[in-house]
Amino acid sequence: MADNPSQQLLDMWKRQVEEGTQAWLRMMGQAQAATSAPNMPNMAMDPQAFWRPFMDQGMAAWSKVMTQGAAPSPDLMAQWKQFLDQWIAAWSRVLEQAMSTDTFAQLMGKQLEGFLNVSAPIKKAAEQQIDASLAGLGIPSRGQVTALARHVAQVEEKIDALEDKVDRILRRLNDAGAPRTERA
Amino acid sequence: MKDELFTMMGEMPAMSPALLARMREEANRNLLRMKHFGEMVMNPKEPKVGPTPRQEIFRTNKSRLWRYESRRTVRTPLLFVPNLGISRPYIFDLMPKGSFVEYMTQQGFDFYLVDWGVFGDEDNGLTVEDAVTKILPRLARKALESSGASEMSVLGYCMGAPLSASFVATHPEFPLKNYVDMAGPIDFAHVGLFGKWLAPEVFDVDKYVDTLGSIPAEMVKMGFKLLKPTMDVSTNLNLWWNLWNPDYVSGFTALNKWANEYLPFPGEFFRQWVRDFYQQNKLIKGELTMAGRRVDLREIRCPVLAVGAKEDNIAPPACVKPLIDVVSTRDKEYVELPGGHISLIAGRGASVHCWPKVASWLAARS
Repeated sequence: MADNPSQQLLDMWKRQVEEGTQAWLRMMGQAQAATSAPNMPNMAMDPQAFWRPFMDQGMAAWSKVMTQGAAPSPDLMAQWKQFLDQWIAAWSRVLEQAMSTDTFAQLMGKQLEGFLNVSAPIKKAAEQQIDASLAGLGIPSRGQVTALARHVAQVEEKIDALEDKVDRILRRLNDAGAPRTERA
Repeated sequence: MKDELFTMMGEMPAMSPALLARMREEANRNLLRMKHFGEMVMNPKEPKVGPTPRQEIFRTNKSRLWRYESRRTVRTPLLFVPNLGISRPYIFDLMPKGSFVEYMTQQGFDFYLVDWGVFGDEDNGLTVEDAVTKILPRLARKALESSGASEMSVLGYCMGAPLSASFVATHPEFPLKNYVDMAGPIDFAHVGLFGKWLAPEVFDVDKYVDTLGSIPAEMVKMGFKLLKPTMDVSTNLNLWWNLWNPDYVSGFTALNKWANEYLPFPGEFFRQWVRDFYQQNKLIKGELTMAGRRVDLREIRCPVLAVGAKEDNIAPPACVKPLIDVVSTRDKEYVELPGGHISLIAGRGASVHCWPKVASWLAARS
């Protein structure tokens, strides 16, 4: 064990990280045995693939900062920021790797489906309740206002389509050498 | 008090002048950080976005066509087609000296921006086909009329690229001079995480749309945040680090405003977008039909530039580049620039790498 307090702290932290890694590996090994998922090869076959790059990056950056010695470096803050950036980037890669597995996509799909299964009847019941209340008060419901707005948009679309047709006709007339017509 | 502190520090024997200067600088930065943080919390200012003067040329339903006039030293005007839904278009004109629109107009391009607008429940019936065959042709024609030009270049950004590519491929009568795809997915087989999450085996788009009607902005936000979960941590860390710098703070507040304003998707648009593009990849296969016309990208015969961003996780380079392989022109170029999806359109990287490339490529052909 080094005499330098910084080095002692680093050694202690390294030890904790090693123990954490072992715990993580045991957990992942159990998950692999339990799920035996064939479509998550990276995670199931090599759990270290998630953990190691992230830890190695963090360890390297942290060691660099800690081994500067007892005297404060003028750029200690910049080094700390760099360390955090690398740490976040490493986390980002780990998460991206996890989220790009088929298992994650399936889990997310199931979560969404579960949400839709729950929310659909609630939404329908709430809308019916609100519509009934508004009808009782003689106030148009959201659905009625939306339908009205849709009609207005459709009318606008028809006007635009008519304008397009008029434009086309005018262009053809102009192309054919007919006298120019003043447009409305 | 501050000077006193530094005088005391200066008397400490271990302090070198360089270290002392650096510590003094850091102490000053910390004071500024606290000052700016206090201002952001106690007296937050609404950032002014969209500074470039513009004129509304045409409006249909929620969509508008904006003209940003230039000295017009470049003959062919530019029609810019961004994404529909997801986010607001002021990112393209975010702030003075940080605006794609401002840059392009300064380069002499008359710039026409398609602003799809914010769609409500009444627009849930709007489809991709409507956007491509009804709204876009109308806006493009109005832009052409307004400019008085005989030809026009089209630039599609993000989702705006597959939409505008579908439009130009199905409307050969439109006098297209050049076409630019900026971070726009074309081959959805290589579209990254979204492609995986929206695959038909795991994502039932019909059930989603039938239940919710439209895709709420919060859902859109969740999807994009999930794409890069560490983004907020990273953003806030960088903010703290640069909080002493007033220029960074003003840029951050503008960009942060945009980054947190998500827009909903009309239901039927989302259904067709996910099914035809993400799940069935019909565009690149030539299987997409719009208003009875087959969308054949080989019909694009003008000069084509495709721009990918190396770290783009929304439209990875592998899904942008294939446009170059399918178009029917010899004058075509693919460039891959550093940064992510937004780095092409906003920020310092964009003004250094992307905008000059796009402007010079277009100017040489306009």
